[in-house]
Amino acid sequence: MSDLHPQKISRRDFLKQAGAGAAALTGAGTLAGQAKAGKAPAESSWAVLIDLTRCTGCESCVLACKASNNLPHPDVVATSLDSDAFTCLETRSLAEGGVGYVKRQCMHCLTPACASACTVGALTKSPEGPVVYDSSKCIGCRYCQYACPFGVPTFEWENPLGLIRKCQFCQARLGQGQKPACAEACPNGALRFGRRDALLAQAHAQIESNAGRYVRRVYGEHEAGGTSMLYLSAVPFAELGFPQLGPEPIPHQAKTVMQQTPLTALTVAGLASALAWFLQRRQKLAAVAMKENTP
Amino acid sequence: MTTLTTRQRIEDFPLTRTALILSLLALLTLAGVWAGLGRLLLGLGATTALSDGYPWGIWIAFDFVLIAFAGAGFTMAGLTHVLRQHQFEPALRPAILTGLLGYTAVLLLLVLDLGRPDRFYNFILYWNLHSPLFEISCCVLLYTIVLVLETAPFLLERLGWTRWLSLAHKAITPIAILGVTLSSLHQSTLGTLYLNMPHRLDALWYSPALPLLFFVSSIMAGLSLTMLAYLFSARILGRQVQPGLLAGLATGAGWVTLVYTLLKLGDLGLRGQWAALGSFDAMSRLLWLELGLGAVVPAALLLLPMLRIRSWSRWLGVGLILFGVLMNRFNATMFAQTPPPGTPPYSPHPVEWLTTVGILAGAALAWYVAVRWLVIFERKSSA
Repeated sequence: MSDLHPQKISRRDFLKQAGAGAAALTGAGTLAGQAKAGKAPAESSWAVLIDLTRCTGCESCVLACKASNNLPHPDVVATSLDSDAFTCLETRSLAEGGVGYVKRQCMHCLTPACASACTVGALTKSPEGPVVYDSSKCIGCRYCQYACPFGVPTFEWENPLGLIRKCQFCQARLGQGQKPACAEACPNGALRFGRRDALLAQAHAQIESNAGRYVRRVYGEHEAGGTSMLYLSAVPFAELGFPQLGPEPIPHQAKTVMQQTPLTALTVAGLASALAWFLQRRQKLAAVAMKENTP
Repeated sequence: MTTLTTRQRIEDFPLTRTALILSLLALLTLAGVWAGLGRLLLGLGATTALSDGYPWGIWIAFDFVLIAFAGAGFTMAGLTHVLRQHQFEPALRPAILTGLLGYTAVLLLLVLDLGRPDRFYNFILYWNLHSPLFEISCCVLLYTIVLVLETAPFLLERLGWTRWLSLAHKAITPIAILGVTLSSLHQSTLGTLYLNMPHRLDALWYSPALPLLFFVSSIMAGLSLTMLAYLFSARILGRQVQPGLLAGLATGAGWVTLVYTLLKLGDLGLRGQWAALGSFDAMSRLLWLELGLGAVVPAALLLLPMLRIRSWSRWLGVGLILFGVLMNRFNATMFAQTPPPGTPPYSPHPVEWLTTVGILAGAALAWYVAVRWLVIFERKSSA
């Protein structure tokens, strides 16, 4: 069980000190530090490895989440995500008999489509790993719900001034050096908190060393460009209802088009101006020529 | 005061067909206002059938349809002020007026749809340059201001403010260019919006060409709606339309529709979707309805020499183009989308219908009033 507890605090402190040192070195140090921190998320941001073979469906994680986030109905176990449940436990009957439990929550994508889509930039990927939601900016347009390939963001339908709700990866707890509430509550070691690169290495090692126990795939390693929530499973992920996604980040295509906006605007405006000027002049000259020719 | 008998009163306000229609529109508008207030007070859960699996319903679908139809404004401003095809000028004002009222309706529907209508202005404060919806919000707001400037001369004429009027005439070409630019941006970005939904939108619709397809289809819808606006404004005032002008617009709409059809078919071919189009499953049938009935047939009706000269062919073609664009926006927003598993089906709540119909009725009423009291249809002297 020793691999369940990576030395997260010491590593975290080390990174903090390194950052502070870099900032102190030069005036541009802060910028360089930020750039490094910006580069960091893909590999060594915080992540959770969810080993579904260890999940017994005890629901401790779901209740801990409710308590930690002060969500309504703290004693009702959620079976689907909604505005009162940031995580839930889905039960799936398996082809070979028995049931499989799937803990669902925000996947905290490395390139989140919700953040790219959000009209007002209320959703952002923090360098530490969480995709955080700033409710003070949100206008409730619900485009994030369409962009998310995992069906994660939920809306407060019963609130006349409704907002979006979703798992924040216990960002406040992480800031205090604590694990996310769900990972801390799991009694079976099914939720392992740590750095993404380290967890991925452990996941692959686990697949190799336990022949036949797992399907040979870590869900979240490549899906939609990779996620901070990683899954190990004994049954194929499709059977558990995981969406089958390619490695391309969802927002890639729209982003490419959106980056052309200034160019499109300038081209259309320039072309229209030139056309209007040229055609007006031609019509004027034609009118003058007509006048000269008539008498 | 009491000298008027009831009979005289009735004779003063004869119950004509127009009066009936106007009363009905007023009634629907009032019902819409009442339903809209209900939505604002009670929230989306109580007054809509929307859910986490179907977060957008007929409000958003009609928004996107209305933006395409209201493309009449930028299409005609571009045609007369940029391409300087002055022969189409008599249809310009009905088109601009339709554009303004269309965008006003869009803004009202959007405010109803937001979870936080009280924060609708937040997109001005917080920018997300990667977000298609951010760009659409900015462009729709700015373009509505452009439309107000473009309609201002109608009112200035009525008020007789000649100094302002001459200023407005001088600025008309730059304003039109600004309007065409803003419209090109957001009409195409409405297509870009769906590029963030590859997991939801059916492959017959999901394509990197969506921005181009949305832009072109807004022009064919804009030209078609201009023809209707021109015809209706003439009918309301009991005036004659210029047959040559209508024929010109119809031919233009036909060609743009043909271009759209070829673009869409080419896009389907490049993405290897012709087999899916020929499969005649539910999705394929939806596309046939939209593309076959809504684009191929009207292109033939408006372009084939033996058909185009007939009036029925022209108006059927125009109607089918508008139907096709309406279907396209509804398909992309609702029918061709696969919600997450376990989502209950969406069937619009009466409040959603009442508000939508009410806002459309209000816009139609305002349109009628403007045609009656402002110079929207060409002046008698120039006719």
